Amino acid sequence: MITIDGSFGEGGGQILRSSLALSMMTGKPFKIEKIRAGRQKPGLLRQHLTAVKAATEIGQAEVSGDTLGSKELVFRPGKMQSGSYSFAIGTAGSATLVLQTVLPALLTTTEKTELTLEGGTHNPAAPPFPFLEKSFLPLLRRMGANVTVELERPGFFPVGGGKFTAVIEPTGMLNRLDLCERGTIHEQRATALVAMLPTDIADRELSLIARRLEWKNPVLKTENVTTSRGPGNVVFIEVESEHLTEVFTAFGEKGKRAELVAEEALKEAKQYVRSEAPVGEYLADQLLLPLAVAGGGSFVTSVLSEHTTTNIEVIRRFLAVHITVTELGKRSWKIEVAS
Amino acid sequence: MNQKKLVVIGFLGATLDAGKGPGRWEKWRPSVALCQHDNLLVDRFELLYQEKFTELGQVVLEDIATVSPETQVELKLVNFQDPWDFEEVYAVLFEWVRGYEFDVDHEEYLIHITTGTHVAQICLFLLTESHHFPGKLLQTAPPKRYRGDDPGTFTIIDLDLSKYGRIASRFAQEQQESLTFLKSGIETRDPAFNKLIEQIEKVAIASKAPMLLMGPTGAGKSRLAKRIYELKRARHVLEGRFVEVNCATLRGDTAMSTLFGHVKGAFTGAVNNRPGLLRQANHGLLFLDEIGELGLDEQAMLLRALEDKTFLPMGADHETDSDFQLIAGTNRDLHRSVAEGKFREDLLARINLWTFHLPGLKDRRADIEPNIAYELDEFARRNGSQIVFTNEARRQFLKFALSAEAVWSGNFRDLNAAVTRMATLAEGGRVTPEDVADEIKRLTRSWQGSGEPVQRGGLEQVLEPEQLAALDRFDRVQLADVVAVCRTAATLSEAGRLLFSTSRERKKNTNDADRLRKYLARFGLSWNALKGI
Repeated sequence: MITIDGSFGEGGGQILRSSLALSMMTGKPFKIEKIRAGRQKPGLLRQHLTAVKAATEIGQAEVSGDTLGSKELVFRPGKMQSGSYSFAIGTAGSATLVLQTVLPALLTTTEKTELTLEGGTHNPAAPPFPFLEKSFLPLLRRMGANVTVELERPGFFPVGGGKFTAVIEPTGMLNRLDLCERGTIHEQRATALVAMLPTDIADRELSLIARRLEWKNPVLKTENVTTSRGPGNVVFIEVESEHLTEVFTAFGEKGKRAELVAEEALKEAKQYVRSEAPVGEYLADQLLLPLAVAGGGSFVTSVLSEHTTTNIEVIRRFLAVHITVTELGKRSWKIEVAS
Repeated sequence: MNQKKLVVIGFLGATLDAGKGPGRWEKWRPSVALCQHDNLLVDRFELLYQEKFTELGQVVLEDIATVSPETQVELKLVNFQDPWDFEEVYAVLFEWVRGYEFDVDHEEYLIHITTGTHVAQICLFLLTESHHFPGKLLQTAPPKRYRGDDPGTFTIIDLDLSKYGRIASRFAQEQQESLTFLKSGIETRDPAFNKLIEQIEKVAIASKAPMLLMGPTGAGKSRLAKRIYELKRARHVLEGRFVEVNCATLRGDTAMSTLFGHVKGAFTGAVNNRPGLLRQANHGLLFLDEIGELGLDEQAMLLRALEDKTFLPMGADHETDSDFQLIAGTNRDLHRSVAEGKFREDLLARINLWTFHLPGLKDRRADIEPNIAYELDEFARRNGSQIVFTNEARRQFLKFALSAEAVWSGNFRDLNAAVTRMATLAEGGRVTPEDVADEIKRLTRSWQGSGEPVQRGGLEQVLEPEQLAALDRFDRVQLADVVAVCRTAATLSEAGRLLFSTSRERKKNTNDADRLRKYLARFGLSWNALKGI
C-alpha cells in the first residue's frame, strides 16, 4: 500500500486531498500518516472530514481513521459510482476544495455525475468560485472535459452556507494541454461583490481599481448579493488573454479598508501582467492533476510554490508519470508532464 | 464513522445568543460559535429555551444550520417563572434530566455552561457533578477581539478527573445526604445475613435491652451498631447520642474514669470533673466493642449501671444517673472467658439476651459485590470523585474475591482497604484490570502467614469430641487447614488443586481430588459431609 507522510512539504490538507483524488482515480489504496502534524490544531478537521466523506461515497471506498483529530487515515477505493450527490461543509469550509478532491476521478467516468455542494464558496486559502468558473474550468473543457458549474448563492467566511452545483458529463479521455504562453491580453475586468454590507464599499473598491489598473478600458461591475446567508465582500480581477483567463481575488474583512482590499487584488493582477508566464500560482496547483490524468501537458508558471512541489511528489507516488520542473528565468518555471 | 455521536445540551442565551439582521454575525454568540469550531463537531444540540425566546431560538437554529450543516438542532422548551430562583430552576432541570433518554453507549454528552443565568449554570454544574447529566462540562469563550471570523475557544471539563476533585469535594457532603436518603444502606444478597438484619431491626425497635454482636474482626460490628443507633433514633426509640469505645483501649484508672467519669481531685491528674462515657450516653446508645477485654472491676460497675441505671464516678460521693442502651461487641467466646474467670457470668447473662452472630466476609460471598459498590460510594463521598471499574476489571476482581484463594481474614476491613487502594490508584476515575491484578497481589501477600485457616478450622464442628481428642496436634493443624480450604472451595477438584498446588506441578498424573478424598477418609470425613450435602 502507498504510504504518504502527511507532514512533508506543505504539510496540510492539500496532501490529503490530492492523495484522495489520485487514489480514487487509480484505484490504489493508501495510508496517510502524521496528518497535519505540525499545525496548531493537528489531525483531521471538519472540512477535511467532509472531503474524505465525499471521496468515500463517490469512490465507494472503505475508510478507517476518519474521525475528528485523527492523524492517520487508510483509504481503499472501490468502483467509482456516478450519480447525484450532496455534500455540506460546516465552519464555512471551502466547498470548492471538496470539488477539487473528487473532480479529477470523475473526469474519466462513463456516466454523468451531479454534485450539490454547500459551504464556503468565496474563501481565502481556497480556490474561490469565480476562479473555478472563469479560469480553471474553461481550461479543463479545452482538454475535453465537460464540466459546468452554477452558483446558487455565495457563501463567505465565516458564516458559509453558500451553494453551487457541478455537472460532470462523461467524455472518456482527456487531451494534453500546453500553456507556455498566454498570447495577447484581450480584456481586464474587475468585479466587486457585496452582501449584507453597504454598496459604497464596492464603489470605493472599483473606483480605486479604475484609477490604478494599467488598462485603458477596464470593465467594472458591482454585484449586490442578496441571497447569501452572511455578510461578505470580495473583489476579483479577470485578465483575459488569447490562451487563457486568470483570476485574482481579494477578500474584505471587518476593520479592513475597502481600498486595501482592492489594492491586494490589483497587486496580484499587475504582477501577473508584468510577468510573461501565463499560469499564476493557484492555477498551477489546480492544473497538475488534470495534466497527470491526461498523461501529458506543460505550462509555464511565475511561481513555484510549496503547494505545487508537494503536489508533484504526491502524484509521483500514485502515477508512473514524469514531471519535470525547469527554471526558465526569474519568475518563470516550466512544468512538463509526460507518461 | 465509529465514534460516539457528540451531543451538546445547553441553554439558549437570552442575551449572549441574541441578535437580528446581518449585524448578528459581527457578535460572538456562544451557541452558534460552538458549532463553528473546525475541531469540534456537534452532531446534535439540545437547545433549552424559554417560551418568550421562541423567535430567537428559531434564528439561532437557522444560523447553526448554516454554519454547521452536520449539526441537528433540537429546540427544547423549558419554562421557569423565575430563572433566578434556584429551587425552581433546579427542580425543572432535574425533571428534564430525569425525562431525557441518555444513550451513553452511542452518544457522548457535553453540558454547555456559558449561556443561561448564573443560577442555571450552577444547576447544570450540580446536575453534571452528581452524574445526573452523564457528561462533561463545556465552557466557551470569545476570542480576545471578536471580528466575526474566530469562534473563540472551548474547554471541556471532565469533573470525574481527579484534578477537579477539590471542587467536587465541596459538594460531596450534600451528595452524601441525598444518597443516604435515597439508599438505605447496602443491598446485601446473602439470605442468612438479610434475615439476621431483619431480626436486629425488630429487636432494635421493640426493645431497649442490651444486644451482643459477635463476629470476627472486620465483620462490621461497629458499623452495624451505628446503624442500629440511627434506626432507633429515627424510630424515636432513643434521643441521645451514640457513644462508642473499644474496651481493648481502656486500661487501669483511665478505664474507670473514661467509662464512669471522675470528680475533680479523684486521683492525680484529675483536675476537672469528667462525666464519663456512660453519662454521655444518657438517653442514647453506648457501644462497647471488645467487651471481653474489659477488666473485672469495670464489669461489676457496668452491671450495676445496667441494672440500676446509676453508678458512682471515681471519687464522687453521689451516684450519677444514666439511662443508656447498650450494644456490646466481641470476637471472643465469652462463655469460655467466664469459665476462665475473665468475664463475669452475671454480666454475660445480662447482655446476651439478644445475641447476634455476624458472619465473616467469606461466609457472605453473595454480599461481596454490593459491598464493593458501597465502598465505591463511600470513597466518592469522602473524596468527591466517582470511581468506576471497567467491566473487565470488575469481572476479574469479583472472580478473585469469590474464589477460595481469597481468605478475607480481615473481612470487610480488608474489602474496604482493597477498594480504597484501587480507587486511590485508579487513573481518571477508572479501575482497570491492571489495577485489579496489582491489588490481588497485595491482598494475597497480606494474607500469607496470617494463620487464619489453621486457627479457624472449626474441627469441633466436623469431628466428635473424642475423635478430636484422639488427634495429635500435628494432624489437627493440617486437617484444620484442609477443612478450611474445602469449605470455601466450590468443588472437590478445586480444593485439591489448591492444597496440592506445588506438588502437582511435578506430577505426571494429577489426581488431586482423589488424593484429597483419601486424606479425608482417614479421618472418617467426606467431601459431601463437609459441605453439608
